[in-house]
Amino acid sequence: MNEISVNVEWATDEAIRIAVSGEIDLANVDTFEAELLGAISNQLADVVVDLREVSYLDSAGLRVLFQLGAQLETLQIGLRLVVPQDSAVRRVVDLSGLEVLATIEPGPQRT
Amino acid sequence: MALDGAAPHDWLRRIESLTDTALSHLGVEELLVELLDRVRELLAVDTAAVLLLDSSAQYLVATAARGIEEEVRQGVRIPVGKGFAGRIAESKQPLILEHVDRVNVLNPILTEKGIRSLLGVPLLSGGEVLGVLHVGSLSTRRFTEADVELLRLASDRVALAAQARQTEAAGAAAGALQRSLLPATLPAVPGVEFATRYVPGGGGEVGGDWYDVFELPSGRICVVVGDVVGRGLEAAATMGRLRTVLRAQALQTDDPAELLQRLDTHIRHFERGVMATVQCAIMTPWHDQLVVSSAGHPPPVVTSPDVPAEVVDLPADLPVGVAARPRRATTLCLPPGHGLFLYTDGLVERRGVSLDVGLRKLCAALRPGPADAVCATVMAQLLGGDQAADDVAVLMLSRPVTDATEPLVLRHHAVPLALRQIRNLARQWLSGVGVTVRVAEEFLIALGEACANVVEHAYGPRGGMISVRLVAEPSVIVAVVRDHGHWRSPRGHNRGRGTVLMHGFVDEVRIEHLVNGTEVTLRKIVSTEEAG
Repeated sequence: MNEISVNVEWATDEAIRIAVSGEIDLANVDTFEAELLGAISNQLADVVVDLREVSYLDSAGLRVLFQLGAQLETLQIGLRLVVPQDSAVRRVVDLSGLEVLATIEPGPQRT
Repeated sequence: MALDGAAPHDWLRRIESLTDTALSHLGVEELLVELLDRVRELLAVDTAAVLLLDSSAQYLVATAARGIEEEVRQGVRIPVGKGFAGRIAESKQPLILEHVDRVNVLNPILTEKGIRSLLGVPLLSGGEVLGVLHVGSLSTRRFTEADVELLRLASDRVALAAQARQTEAAGAAAGALQRSLLPATLPAVPGVEFATRYVPGGGGEVGGDWYDVFELPSGRICVVVGDVVGRGLEAAATMGRLRTVLRAQALQTDDPAELLQRLDTHIRHFERGVMATVQCAIMTPWHDQLVVSSAGHPPPVVTSPDVPAEVVDLPADLPVGVAARPRRATTLCLPPGHGLFLYTDGLVERRGVSLDVGLRKLCAALRPGPADAVCATVMAQLLGGDQAADDVAVLMLSRPVTDATEPLVLRHHAVPLALRQIRNLARQWLSGVGVTVRVAEEFLIALGEACANVVEHAYGPRGGMISVRLVAEPSVIVAVVRDHGHWRSPRGHNRGRGTVLMHGFVDEVRIEHLVNGTEVTLRKIVSTEEAG
């Protein structure tokens, strides 16, 4: 009902790519967190979270990404976030200093 | 007490006529009518009417009338505090209008009937207002102090009768059930206006017609009009159950076709033998869109600013309670200036007359406008002074044309789901104000953080409300987010980030701790090309 979707686009033994879409706020952040963490095992070496279809992300959503970044750092698993340049979410991510814990990449241009 | 113009013996005669013991043999309905007739005769006036407060205590509903019977037959509703009768109910004081015009009365029937002067008094019981009794004159008349006193006296008798009417068990049970099941107040949604009418069928008999308007968790609005086959208490009780099922199922889906499917499944399992036609529309105000599905119900009518009202070409699926069949939904565009009118068949069906005639009449009566005025016009033109044979429920949804630069004022329960609703309405408002997408996005993030703060920190477990006011000033947009809770310093390691986002995306953040809550003001400068 509170539209958000978290889909595993592909996964190998070493890497996983997860695509998220919708608006993330206080109301659905628990769903976001559970689905995101549920998709990631400790066997991986590389995690990509594609946020190109996320149109709104608030500080509650940022908290999940920060926690994920910190945990993956401990597990020595790389975290890459795909966030297009010049999007609202990109400005949120840039302001928050999330790049300390994750590699931020623009990904292919959306058309 | 100055009884100018009334000789003492005359006064006594008048009192006697109102307390006549012969009256006690009458049933309540006849008693009200008889009392109104005597009031008309005594005061030498042309009309007399009783309006009673409905269960919400926010509206007066025309209940008995002489000389203006249309009031009752069209189900006239007057908000307390507005118009002639509404002001009397609010002030609990008599009111005289020597010159009636469209400004000082709300009910168009009064002006159309040619009533020149009005006198009204409150119906009181133990200091509480039950309703209003008013009389009218077709020629200009200066009502005297004695007239006021006499009407007051009559009002005591009428109040007793009205109370009896409300407690009269047998015939009133279905009516009471019907009244209690129809929503007493409709949700206030920015950019959408609702008005409704319900009129019982011949002999005051209620049936299974209903209307409903409610907000869904997603912030969408669900609008329903339905008609349970059958009459009387049983149909009214069934209607009440179906309405509740529909509301419960609406928490699970935003698709009206699926919603009706679920209602149908429920009926075929739990309510065998029940059949109903239902029209269900789910509106997304921030996208000007409305999705409608019909279970064998007469089609809705759309009003537009420039073209005549039109029956919507909507595929009608089976009524609910018949058989499992796929159901369809149709998307309509309903931008500001447009409206959608839903009704039950009692409005347009007349014995021996083709349904097309009724629909043509309905389209001709429908003009875009304030929802309540539209309902009043339709009831006047389609029912007029006739008693409807079947019961009638109607619901008008209007999208008023608002000045885009008007402030947006929102009030919600401070719960997480409110954040999305506030965002959606603010997003729509910002696009109307004409700022760039980038400015709007940044402003929404700061606003979202301010609102999330209220949801997370302002109130204890009892909860509370959040108010948001958006104002477009020359080259600045301002948001004021207000709560009435107690400030609690941010906790958790997430908090700093919300504040960083607020400061990062607007030019000024001001947080004021007031005695009764907190007010956060956000100001964002927009360049002059953007504002506008």
